[in-house]
Amino acid sequence: MAAKTYLTHEDISKWLEDMSSQATVLVPASVDRAVKFVPYDAQTQIVLEHQATAPPKEAVFPQTETLLKYRYKKDTEHPETQPLEVKEDVPEDKVVVFGARPCGTRGFVIYDRVFTSDTITDPYYKARRANTAFITIACDQVENTCFCHWVGSHPADSEGSDIMLFPVQGGYLAQSVTDKGDQLIKQAGGTKASGEQQKEADTIQARVREELGEAPDISDVPASLLQIFDNLDFWNDVSAKCISCGACTYLCPTCYCFNITDEAYGLTGKRIRTWDNCMSYLFTLEGSGHNPRMTKAHRLRNRVGHKFSYYPELHEGVFACCGCGRCIKHCPMAVDIREIALRAKETADDEQSVSA
Amino acid sequence: MNNPYLPDIATIKEIIQETPNIKTFRVVLNDEKRMQEFDFKPGQVGQLSVFGVGESTFVINSPPTRKEYLQFSVMQVGEVTNRLHSLQEGDQIGVRAPLGNSFPLESMKGKEILFVGGGIGMAPLRTLLLTMLDKRDEFGDITVIYGARSPQDLCYTYEFDMWQSLGANLVLTVDREFPDWDGRVGFVPTVLTEEAPKPANKVAITCGPPIMIKFVLKGLKDLQFADDQIITTLEKRMKCGVGLCGRCNIGTHYVCVDGPVFTYAQLKALPSEL
Amino acid sequence: MSLLEDVKAKIKEELPNLDCVIGWKQGFDPLHATPHFMRTEKDVDQLIYDPLCAQNLASYLPGMKDKKVGILVKGCDSRSVVELIQEKLIKRENLVIFGLPCSGAVDLTRVNDEFGFVGRITGVNFSDGKMEITTPDGSSVLEIKDLLLSKCQTNPYASPVLCDHDFSPSGGPAICGQGESDALQALEGMSLEQRFAYWQYHMDRCIRCYACRNACPMCVCRDHCIADTREPHWLSQETDVQQKWMFQLVHAMHLAGRCTECGECERACPMNIPILSLRQKLNREIKELFDYEAGVDPEAVPPLLTFKVEEANINERGW
Repeated sequence: MAAKTYLTHEDISKWLEDMSSQATVLVPASVDRAVKFVPYDAQTQIVLEHQATAPPKEAVFPQTETLLKYRYKKDTEHPETQPLEVKEDVPEDKVVVFGARPCGTRGFVIYDRVFTSDTITDPYYKARRANTAFITIACDQVENTCFCHWVGSHPADSEGSDIMLFPVQGGYLAQSVTDKGDQLIKQAGGTKASGEQQKEADTIQARVREELGEAPDISDVPASLLQIFDNLDFWNDVSAKCISCGACTYLCPTCYCFNITDEAYGLTGKRIRTWDNCMSYLFTLEGSGHNPRMTKAHRLRNRVGHKFSYYPELHEGVFACCGCGRCIKHCPMAVDIREIALRAKETADDEQSVSA
Repeated sequence: MNNPYLPDIATIKEIIQETPNIKTFRVVLNDEKRMQEFDFKPGQVGQLSVFGVGESTFVINSPPTRKEYLQFSVMQVGEVTNRLHSLQEGDQIGVRAPLGNSFPLESMKGKEILFVGGGIGMAPLRTLLLTMLDKRDEFGDITVIYGARSPQDLCYTYEFDMWQSLGANLVLTVDREFPDWDGRVGFVPTVLTEEAPKPANKVAITCGPPIMIKFVLKGLKDLQFADDQIITTLEKRMKCGVGLCGRCNIGTHYVCVDGPVFTYAQLKALPSEL
Repeated sequence: MSLLEDVKAKIKEELPNLDCVIGWKQGFDPLHATPHFMRTEKDVDQLIYDPLCAQNLASYLPGMKDKKVGILVKGCDSRSVVELIQEKLIKRENLVIFGLPCSGAVDLTRVNDEFGFVGRITGVNFSDGKMEITTPDGSSVLEIKDLLLSKCQTNPYASPVLCDHDFSPSGGPAICGQGESDALQALEGMSLEQRFAYWQYHMDRCIRCYACRNACPMCVCRDHCIADTREPHWLSQETDVQQKWMFQLVHAMHLAGRCTECGECERACPMNIPILSLRQKLNREIKELFDYEAGVDPEAVPPLLTFKVEEANINERGW
């Protein structure tokens, strides 16, 4: 294991300043009591003590992204034709995301499997992913809504990160995880971590794991969800209080459903990709008027199914959920996806024992 | 690098008014080399773009054996199709193709083929039909049962003689009596039952309005066709066409990647979210 | 018997005649209540009622229009029910309304401000206008009056305006909040340029999740919202301030004279954007022009849904 570097809070500020001359550095800042990732500047009040309201999803998967630009040209020699020019718009900027939690960063590990797989490569995602570095802070506090340990992660999970920072008195112990991380850590300065500091970091991590408690076994939830697919009584019951907004989807680090629309401005325009929400009625509405997911029960079934059943089945049991709990915290009606997953398992078990 | 979202630009060479609300577009990719190298299998689809309006999915309904142009048949239902219908020959559109899976052609060789189509459902069937007729020796008897609401709603009427001359048996029908129609009258599922094809060594491929498919499937099962002898194509709202945007999935299967061609056996195994 | 026990008993009485009764129960931790659809006596036993029951349950009623439904309402919620009846979006004869007393609902963002980190709360206790919060590190006591939602500052109807079973201490309306909300007062003190800058700043923070839209009980467009439709193409899908601001303006206009100031829009917003003030401002204009308040009289017709040849406060010809 690579030796850790001890960085004081002042070291961190200087490091952020240095990095911002070479890349856009995104840090969590409180804007009217909602914490969002914003570009760093010296005045920014950085909030690192708790999970940010919005995850750093936008760094690699922006809410709006231009896929291509087009232009109809006027040909005065041949006015009956309209030659067309189309250009793709692949991004190139370098970004460093500082101060996310493992659950926020790990979202991209879920994306990587679909956006850059053997069969398909999304060039926009790939470019952004390659150009973004993640400096992630291991958690030293647990919230009532945290459940990363249910889905195979933990508060110090380094998957998807380039550098991990472990909180200690006066600062952090920084540890590089990837080559990109090695390069960035060289700029950071700091001192070699002492044995006591290492022990302190380990004690904090052990305490956090204990606070998190035991995770229930949800390995058979994927099969349970498929089994109760047609049980509309169950789905009507769990979706009764849902108002089909989009808070859960847009704050989720692993949600990636999107829309592609053309926006025209006279003879020119662009084709954009934007976040979309599978909880919306219009999501699957067909031109004929038929809608396979007519009610919110159907749509909630699809959302929970995608995260806890379809994705794991296609990707070696990995859940498309990082357990960050934002969907639970910010749902206006306190819908709890943990409860739904456990009730699905219970209902499937009951169904099986009845028919046995 | 291959960008799956970037369409090829194509020019519309010919437009045929099939029915009052269906037009067929014959397009050629502007990049000659790309057009020559363009390869696809029957059943695969393409996303047609009208820049500034959007994209919609249509099956490539010309066969890979006839590549002077790519053909798409479009029914007028919404924003993109309305704009497509207003285009003229010489206008340019975007084509993102081929996408999706194809008919299991290899496994159909040496068998007898039954096509059951309704209205615009004939579009995906035409691709496979012509591919087979262009290699007639590789297949047994080929019969097409094709019907529509009225004589005006039948597509490809100008090709029926050609299909028959190449070796297809054609059974045409319309839903009810019409003054200019002296052919068969009856719903497609009814005609299917009347024709009573035997399932031995046969493959049935069907496509059409959902209600027709429902009854055709029932009819084929009543005639003792096995689940894997029946093939159909599904339609869904699509955007990315490459299995990412999360819109067209039925359980774990994305209709734009694992479909649109499915056997009845495969459909039965999927969650019921059609 | 306590208030809660009385209410539970009454609900159990009415339950056989109803498809369900909508109330609240304990959410995922002691700080969160969640809507609860009661169909059996066991369901009713889970009912809770305290200042954390902020959700306006009237939002669920239009979707249950043809069923016989019971609903628990605070004063502000009852106004939403009345407005829905006024607009014939629900049927009065299908409703059994249980009216509850209320002296304010708690704003969890303000709890976060006053108390600090609320993520690890293990217990909450209410008594005598105070809220005791317990975490593994100890407990604190806060005054509820310092924690109220902004709508509680301005809503004059603490007791339900319309109900079948009244559990509030005195029958008629009583004053809950007095005066104007802080946000609206601040806006009134700004110049036009300052107000515009204020809203541009907030719209930049908006993530276009539509929680505000979906939480609103008066939103009728639902699945046919202009924000999503392309025919006609009012808004692009781009996430820029222009589109988001346009959406908020249209939504506020749709609610002019209809908004009952239940505050769900502001409570639902994950980014703490004070959008209630936009709607409240329009309501103040409507009050001045038409002397009308939404959701108070079931027989009244909202002024923008009707037409009069001569308006009392709009002197078209006489100036």
